Formats: sequence, C-alpha cells, structure tokens
Amino acid sequence: MKGLACFVFLLGLASAGAQELIVNRSAGVESLTRNEARLYLTMRLKHWPDGTEVRLFVLPDNDALHQHFVNAILGLYPYQLRRVWDRQIFTGTGQAPILVNSREEMLRRVASTPGGLGYTDGLVSNPAVHTIEVQ
Amino acid sequence: MRRYLRLAIVLPLAMGSLSASALDLFEERLRIHGFASQAVVDTSDNQYFGDSTGTSFDFTELGLNASYRFTPRILLSSQVLVRRAGDMYDGTPSIDYALADITASSTSEARFGARLGRIKNPLGLYNETRDVPFTRPGIFLPQVIYYDKVRNLVLSSDGVMFFGETYGEAGTLSLNLGVGQPIIDDNAEWTYLGDDFEGRLEPRDPTWIANLWIASPTERLRAGLGVVASSLSYDAFESSFLESGSIGFINTILSLQYNDEQWTLSAEYSRMPLEWKEFGPVFPFSKQTTEGYYLQGAYRPRPNLELSLRYEEGFADRNDRDGSRSSALTGGLTPPFDFYSKIWTAGLRWDVKPNLMLRFEYQRHAGTFALSIRENPDPSDLVKHWDAFAASISVRF
Repeated sequence: MKGLACFVFLLGLASAGAQELIVNRSAGVESLTRNEARLYLTMRLKHWPDGTEVRLFVLPDNDALHQHFVNAILGLYPYQLRRVWDRQIFTGTGQAPILVNSREEMLRRVASTPGGLGYTDGLVSNPAVHTIEVQ
Repeated sequence: MRRYLRLAIVLPLAMGSLSASALDLFEERLRIHGFASQAVVDTSDNQYFGDSTGTSFDFTELGLNASYRFTPRILLSSQVLVRRAGDMYDGTPSIDYALADITASSTSEARFGARLGRIKNPLGLYNETRDVPFTRPGIFLPQVIYYDKVRNLVLSSDGVMFFGETYGEAGTLSLNLGVGQPIIDDNAEWTYLGDDFEGRLEPRDPTWIANLWIASPTERLRAGLGVVASSLSYDAFESSFLESGSIGFINTILSLQYNDEQWTLSAEYSRMPLEWKEFGPVFPFSKQTTEGYYLQGAYRPRPNLELSLRYEEGFADRNDRDGSRSSALTGGLTPPFDFYSKIWTAGLRWDVKPNLMLRFEYQRHAGTFALSIRENPDPSDLVKHWDAFAASISVRF
C-alpha cells in the first residue's frame, strides 16, 4: 500500500509541477508563511491585508490534488481540514469554502473572483492569477 | 415500522441525488447546507433509541442551515434540527442555533470577537456538533460524557459568547467565555428527578461556560479544558410528590487528541458534582459526583475508511462506583448496575463519497446508566449485560 502511494505520488510529481497556492491578482499578496496559509485555508482569516474578502475555492475531499496540496503545503491531512470546516458550518460560526469540480474551474474562478484563493499543480499563465510562495 | 423504513430509505437517497456542494446564492454570500441520517438499532435487552429489542428505526437526524456573510467580520446563521431518538425526542423541529458572529479583530497573530443569540456550547471534542453524524466519533457518542438522555442541559444556550484565539509558531491557543439561559426539556426532569412529575423544571441562574484549547500548529496534538456551571429550579404543583427544590451542577471536561495520517487517538474525562436541594423527604438523593471517561483509537487504512475501538466508563456517583449505596437509597428498587455503565464499542466508518457515509457499530454494555429512564421506566426490567448493534446511512450537502 505504501509503495503504491509512493508511486502515485511520484507519478503526480512527474506529470506536473509541485502544488502551489494561487490568488487573484487583486489581493496583492506575493508570499505567505505556512502558518498564514493554514489560517486562510481553515478560514480563520477571512480578509487579505488590504481588507478584501478571501474567497476560498477547493476541490472535493477525495481529489488527489486536494490531498497532496493539503499535506505538502499545509502539513495537514484532508480529514483535519474537513473537521475544522464542519465545525464552522454546523455551529454557524463560519462558512465552508466554495467547492469546484475541476482544476480548470478552480483556475477560472480564482481568476475571475476578487480575493480569490485556490491551488494548482501546473504552470499558471493567466495574468489575473498569481502563484504564491509558501515559506 | 414500514413507514419508518420507507423514510429511512427514501430520505437519504433524495438528498444524495442533490449536488454534493452547498447551495450558494447571492454571489455565494448566502450558503445553505444540510444533512440527513437514519440509523437502525438492535439490542439484546433494554431500550436504547427506541424499542430496540425489537429493532428500532427511531433514530433519525435532519438538519438544514443557512448563513449569510455581510462582511468578512459579520456572519448571520441559523440551523433547524429535526431529531427523532426513541422516546427521548419525537422529531419536533427545533432551532438548533441562531446567531450573529461578529469578529472585532482578525490578524495572522490573533482573532477575537463575540457571538450573540442561541449558541451551541463548545464543550469537549464533540458537543458543538453532536447532532451532525459526520462529525461524531461513531453512531453513538461516548455516552458517559455526552449523555443523550439529557443532552439539552449542555447543548446550547441563549446568550453571549466571547471568543479569542492567538496563533504562533508553537501553536494555537483559544478561549471561549459565555453566559446565557440554557435550553432544557422534559428529559432533564426524567434524568434528574427520575420521572415526569407534576411540576416545572426551569433554569434558575444563567449558565456559565468557559473553555480553553491549545493545539500544535498542525493540530497534531490538541488539549482542551471546558467548564459549565448551571442550576435548575423545580416548581412543584400541588399534586406533586416532590416539594419545590433546585438542582445545581458544575461539569468539567478534559480532552486530549492526537492526529496523524492514519491514527486519531482521543481521550476525555468529565466530572460533575451535582446537588439536589429541598425536594422533600420522598426524594432519595442529595449529592452525587457524576464521572465518566473514555479512550478511543481510530485507524484509517484509507482516507475514506475508518476502524475504531473505544472503551468508556461512567458512574452516577464516583464515590459509589458499584452503585450499591445509590441502590440502597432507592430501597433496592433500582438495581446497583443502573448507576454505572462500562461500554466497549467497535465501529466501522466508510465514506462512500464525500457526501455519503455508512457506519456499523457494535457495543457491549455492562450496566445501564447510559440508558434513558424515560425509555426504560421500570427498573425491574433492566438487564445488566447487554449488546447493541447499529448501522446508519448519512448524507450531506
């Protein structure tokens, strides 16, 4: 099982670039610390430094890119993120991220939404989208 | 029975055919979510969530919530809950929460604000979302901490809750402090007075809630301390056997959880001193300290499959763990094993899709303290050693 997971992971690396956070250009953000990235993805931080509302887009919990991204960039597991979001959704203390069904839709929504935040594993050539460095 | 069966099958399917995502309206500022769950429970003896010795379908949960974000700082939200749980809850819709969540300040170092309205009480790992099957550690919560026979006393309150969090390299520290009027129902009277007497049980003083959580940056390790203090007054009618009295309690819950890719280990401990005052000569109890604890291990061979094992013990009075003195106070009418519960639980969770979950569970009980007196009114019918099988199907959007 581990070998298979490793193989799939390597295949993922070979077929595309590393997973990266992407934001709508209007947010004016170039880089984030890992802690900040976690705060935005757990939806505890709901606005960018300039006050624009964060609009977070995610792929389904069982999507391979989602699982790789959550682990590689945030150091979390998908079930942990789900738990945090569910606590917010079902206690009325927060909202869930907006679900998209494909990488193309993710890119399109982040590009067209002010304050948009998402992730990708390929090169981004859309001028409305910035790739963010997570340190 | 047939009607329930139909409900059990049709409802989840109907919801499952909806989109997996939430309903998003008004540029995704208005979000609507929901869940539906149906369980079947079968016990060897005793009644647990319905007439379970003859297989019960009386455990149904439906929730529908809406939230509207005005600005990043202001959120309005509410959830309606329909819950059928044996003789304890008949499925009358209730407002689970309805609140305004206001963030006063939010940076990458800290966040604080307040919530106003009907607020779910953040106690232990699960109280806030105890009715959402997807967030529970099993079909049944660890009863010795999250009693279903009297859930409403700590479920929610109408009032205000202040919250604050700090984020650092070492992790997250968060604090909630709240005060309000508890929401109580008939089950409180059954649980704390042993019957539905001629009289009214009402909140006497405001309920106070405080809780503190510390977590490592990736929430690998979480530890929490929660305290809730409340009191109820009983207003006896003339026809009542009891005199007008009051009940006071302070519940403290300690929680610890470890998370990694494949394992989640959870342990919680609760202690609750309870005092009955002025109920008259007929009422047998004056002071007890209820205690409960459990340890649960969950293993995920795949992200969508979870196997779990839990052991829990709970006592009506920690100074009388075999129940002999409490039993003697009832003149032997209630057997000693009705004052404790020791439960082994083995469970399987399968998330077929992100919005569809199946669960199977087996429990081996020694003692009947976790049971509702309302469902088991005659103590001479109680059986000390009993088994429970349960399965559930749950959907969400």
